[in-house]
Amino acid sequence: MQLQGKSSGSEMEVTWQDQQNINTFSRFNNRFHELEDEIKFAKEKCDNLEDAGNELILADEEMVRFQIGEVFAHVPKDEVETRIEEMKEATCKTLEKLEQEKESLISQMAELKKVLYAKFKDSINLEED
Amino acid sequence: MSSSSPSGSGGDDLSERRGIPAAKFIQDVETYLSQSGFDSNSALAFHQERLQQYKVVEMKLLAQQRDLQAKIPDIEKCLEVVATLEARKGTGEVELGCALILAAYLKTFSLKVLISMLACEIEHVVSQNIVLASLEESTETSFKSCLIVTAEHVVSRNISLLADFEVSEGIYSRACIEDTDSVCLWLGANVMLEYSCEEATALLRNNLENAKASLEVLVADLQFLRDQVTVTQVTIARIYNYDVHQRRVKQVTPTAIAAADA
Repeated sequence: MQLQGKSSGSEMEVTWQDQQNINTFSRFNNRFHELEDEIKFAKEKCDNLEDAGNELILADEEMVRFQIGEVFAHVPKDEVETRIEEMKEATCKTLEKLEQEKESLISQMAELKKVLYAKFKDSINLEED
Repeated sequence: MSSSSPSGSGGDDLSERRGIPAAKFIQDVETYLSQSGFDSNSALAFHQERLQQYKVVEMKLLAQQRDLQAKIPDIEKCLEVVATLEARKGTGEVELGCALILAAYLKTFSLKVLISMLACEIEHVVSQNIVLASLEESTETSFKSCLIVTAEHVVSRNISLLADFEVSEGIYSRACIEDTDSVCLWLGANVMLEYSCEEATALLRNNLENAKASLEVLVADLQFLRDQVTVTQVTIARIYNYDVHQRRVKQVTPTAIAAADA
């Protein structure tokens, strides 16, 4: 995403407010990319927990090796089920929150784009490269 | 970093932040150039250099952020393990009470002695209460059946925690972790200290809080830095545009004079 005005040669007045807007847009854009990564990670985790839960139902052993930290502890199946449920709930809630933040970011960025394009027209490029 | 040159008035909130100088915002390029005595090229060079310096600092901060972001899940994992060990510790008392019952039966302690020995163990466990109540009014048969129930309790609960851990890539070994009051924490620099479970939890929580706080400060620094990078980039673009504009004007004027003369 280029924020520099390319050489149209015209002299464009840039006010402090404009600079603030550009800075804010840059922040939003960075946060947007970070959020995308975080959402991907959370989705993966959710899927893994889902798979683990399903495997658990199919398993017939009483003791399941459950990963705590770096070791696999022998834990009774019921406890593992409860733990996985809790972890799934927590991860899903985090995922929801992240998605919401992403939505609000997208709308805020659209607003700023309108303002900046109105002022600078061709001298500014706010698209993803 | 070099000291900032005089420039047109800008509205910066901070002149610098933790060693990172702020980029002064220029209201008017012409005024800035005449005031600072720079010509377009040297002004451009100066700002380009500033940009490079910002990039270097950004790399450093990003590396620090990656380290912290790796450290935080580690600390959380340690906390989880210590919590699990502490939770297992609680079940030890049940085993003691059941073991006492068994011992009493085998060595035929008197019932009254047995009840008083159990008195302090039974608060937390409902099944123990049932055993105690039936012991008080028991005949031999009911005592035996209570014993069988509690014996089943003992067998189904493992006293020690079995864990499989990685010895090397692809090779795992089994560890039998007894109930313990203390854990050893790796503090780094080839130092490992033994702590009680509560102290360990407190220390790990403290470390986690500090790491999270540092990460927040770091993120704020990065945002500030990125703002300065953006301001510098915009300034470079504006000076460049101004320069191009000036050249165009210069080209037009001689032609106009030539036309007027002719």
